[in-house]
Amino acid sequence: MNATKKRVAVVLLGLTFILQSFGASSIAQTARSSADIAVVVHPETPVSDLSLAEVRQVLLGERQYWNSKLPVVLLIRAPVARERDVVLRVIYQMTEAQFKQYWVAKIFRAEAASPPKIVYSNDMQYELISGIPGAIGFMDARNIRPGLKVLRVDGHLPGDKDYPLH
Amino acid sequence: MVRALLSFGVILLAASISCAQGSAPTDQAEQVKLLLERIQQLERRVTDLEARQAPASAMAISTAKENPVPSQNPQQQNPPPAAQTHEHEVREQAATVQQMEQHYPSLQIRGFGDVDFAATDQKGTNSGFNLGQLDLHLASALSRKVTYFAEMTFNAQPTGYTVEVERNIIRYDYNDYFKISFGRYHTPIGYWNTAFHHGAWLQTTISRPDMVRIGGTFIPVHFVGFLAEGNIPSGGAGLSYNVGVGNGRGEIISRPGDAGDNNNNRAWVANIYSRPRALYGLQMGASVYRDKINLMGRDFREWITGAHLVWTKETPEFLAEFVNVNHRQVLTDIATNSQAFYVQLGYRLPWFERTVKPYYRFEYTHTPLSEQVFTNQDLVGSILGARYDISNYAAFKAEYRYTKREIANPWVNGFFLQTAFTF
Repeated sequence: MNATKKRVAVVLLGLTFILQSFGASSIAQTARSSADIAVVVHPETPVSDLSLAEVRQVLLGERQYWNSKLPVVLLIRAPVARERDVVLRVIYQMTEAQFKQYWVAKIFRAEAASPPKIVYSNDMQYELISGIPGAIGFMDARNIRPGLKVLRVDGHLPGDKDYPLH
Repeated sequence: MVRALLSFGVILLAASISCAQGSAPTDQAEQVKLLLERIQQLERRVTDLEARQAPASAMAISTAKENPVPSQNPQQQNPPPAAQTHEHEVREQAATVQQMEQHYPSLQIRGFGDVDFAATDQKGTNSGFNLGQLDLHLASALSRKVTYFAEMTFNAQPTGYTVEVERNIIRYDYNDYFKISFGRYHTPIGYWNTAFHHGAWLQTTISRPDMVRIGGTFIPVHFVGFLAEGNIPSGGAGLSYNVGVGNGRGEIISRPGDAGDNNNNRAWVANIYSRPRALYGLQMGASVYRDKINLMGRDFREWITGAHLVWTKETPEFLAEFVNVNHRQVLTDIATNSQAFYVQLGYRLPWFERTVKPYYRFEYTHTPLSEQVFTNQDLVGSILGARYDISNYAAFKAEYRYTKREIANPWVNGFFLQTAFTF
């Protein structure tokens, strides 16, 4: 009887330990992956890894071509979307007002013909990125679907510890 | 002992479960928020689809009533639901992509305007309001690689309005490293002249620095010819260039010879600048401009060299530019050097929803007495002001200026107001 109780106690302790460690890691993982914003491009885009500075260069309109035949098509979520907040805060480092002014000035300087295209939902973004060659957008890592190419940023994918977009 | 161990284990298990449940709410709240957003999106989407389908289905029903078709096997009439849904999705996706794809030409028009008030203690001047420039900017993609840009201003004059074509550019982009354009530009000397153009709303201050004043002569503000520009593969240095050949200064040296050059010598300009990737917001560069000027039968060689250093973020904003203009008379070989520079500092305050930006600018221009191409432009002055962004597209600015032109003239105090906007 005592031996049985001992065994039960040991099993319970082990179970507790496993549950705790699993719970902690899964919570951390959930928190991290839910916070990450993936950089997604049309599958035929000839890049797979960009540094954060290079992503910024693309978003600022300083790099407008993936190659001489493939122009960059910028997509950005409409205001209030979390993806847009992250892009403005981490990449542009601008407020909403500064972002709008930046693109007015950019076009006025004849440096770009149009601002980024506004997308209103993940579905719409998915359709556009998978349908327009050269398109680049930003999507909550949990909403990524097959048919999109997820770029590494500074060598990391969404969910990685050092992934910068969250 | 065993009982105690068992109890401890049970307590620890219960605690771990409750702990896991306790830490969940924040995450759950986020999840719920996200799910609600998603549901709202999907609901909107369904509503849109229903709205789109309603007229079509109504028409189909009415057509069906008018032209009844013989009844068929229902299985033949309706394709399998899965295939129908897939086809519908594909059609919808294609429609969305088609709708968002660039169509050519795609003309965009944007306007800029400003209304100003000025009051100074300079003798012979009146205080009062004046309409600034009404500025129209047109941008149109003509194809994936060809774009047209234009800028026109309507300027208030004592006898009416004058219309000026400020920029008129057609550009072909080969890639990021080579873009070639033809037309009328703002000469890429330094920073301000190509960063702010005519829309007063774009610049922090009410006016441009005197050395790049519209209608001024210190540097040739406009340029007619062609320009090649692009990035230079340089890694983290972020180098870019502009190289151009054009008419240079016209007979009226503030104008670029729109209708044709006044001599057989072309002007050329080269500008190189760096935006280091590691220091986002920093730009530094150098420019060279070379021309031969014909002025009342006398020829002058003109060399303009300039450098700039700017920090384009607004906390703080820092702009500094220096230009040296060298004129050498061909016949006598007498040379003069005129210098001008400005330093501007601004800071967007963290309060009032970041709508207020105080600023200060110091500017200085020196022209030697022996200068023959343009009249004396000596200036020393300070500007202290604040910009208040009324909305994302309109700003109100107030400035105090303390300036002195030429040695013999007195210092002038001035108070200026401006409301500038884009539409």
